[in-house]
Amino acid sequence: MNLTLTVVLGISGIVVGFLAQRSRMCFVAGLRDWFLVRDRELLLGLFTFVITIWFLTSLFSHLQLLRRGIPEYGEIEAARSVEGVSRGLMKSGSAKILEKGAIESLSPRTNPFVIATFGGGLFLGLISTMTGGCVLRQHVLCAQGNRNALFYILGFYFAVIVYYNFLFRFMVRIY
Amino acid sequence: MQRTHFYLRPWLFGVICGTLFVLLEVFFSFYPPSAYAFCLTCHTRDLVNSFMNLLTGSHHQTAYLAKRVFMVTSPALLIGAFVAARVTGEHRHRKSSHPFFSFAAGFFIMVIGIVIFGCPTRLLIRSGYGDLYGIIAVGGMCMGVWIGTGILRSWARKGG
Repeated sequence: MNLTLTVVLGISGIVVGFLAQRSRMCFVAGLRDWFLVRDRELLLGLFTFVITIWFLTSLFSHLQLLRRGIPEYGEIEAARSVEGVSRGLMKSGSAKILEKGAIESLSPRTNPFVIATFGGGLFLGLISTMTGGCVLRQHVLCAQGNRNALFYILGFYFAVIVYYNFLFRFMVRIY
Repeated sequence: MQRTHFYLRPWLFGVICGTLFVLLEVFFSFYPPSAYAFCLTCHTRDLVNSFMNLLTGSHHQTAYLAKRVFMVTSPALLIGAFVAARVTGEHRHRKSSHPFFSFAAGFFIMVIGIVIFGCPTRLLIRSGYGDLYGIIAVGGMCMGVWIGTGILRSWARKGG
């Protein structure tokens, strides 16, 4: 276990939590406010967030300080996880993609993961809109003393245990 | 109410946090999987699973990074937001109006997050990295929010 990285991650989490509380930032609420009342303030936060990451990633990978890997898995997870197998990463070899340094492109055949990604994103947006905030905002609300958000976080942690002990087998069958 | 404490503009939050997440990966090598500096579902999964692996000796899936680091993002975020709320006096208890719905929503968000690898924040980070799957997921999220606003509108019409 690397203690330095853990401390760095903890400090970054605290900083982000502090800033998120002060700015009331929520990525789903940015889209929701724009769809409902054309309020642009939170949506602007979303766009600056993406554009900053896009710009800095391009800059650092040009300076060769950043390796563009596969965001979903490490190379090792690609062989083991269900979704990695379904994407055919095992066959093509993720190391090959990493060496080329190219941005990964979609395979010509639509694989189950594309549908799962789109549908998952859809339900993520839908449920987040119903509960009134994305995951980041729910954490902030929970820290502010909102009991609904507290139950949300409890369900959040509970789901990990349930998924890996029971649901995982069914997901394998679906894929 | 007079505003004594500072209020951060959301666009400034985007710039600061975007910079922070990229710099974390560049200078502290939060590397395999990439774009992994911040994700609430994935980091929570890694935290819970690595604790369960330690306690029960099981072999549940964690990201490669989680073998070196305890992913303390979610508790740290709670602490940071709690400190901010305490300092500015915005911390107050609110009664729960629909606990079971919230619990189920958190449950489903986590399951979806495990399957598609990301909370909304990380989907945006992945799109910024140029991951096509991230962009597809964000497209789906926009559509989901659009449907959700339709439902909210119909609820408001019924109530009012």
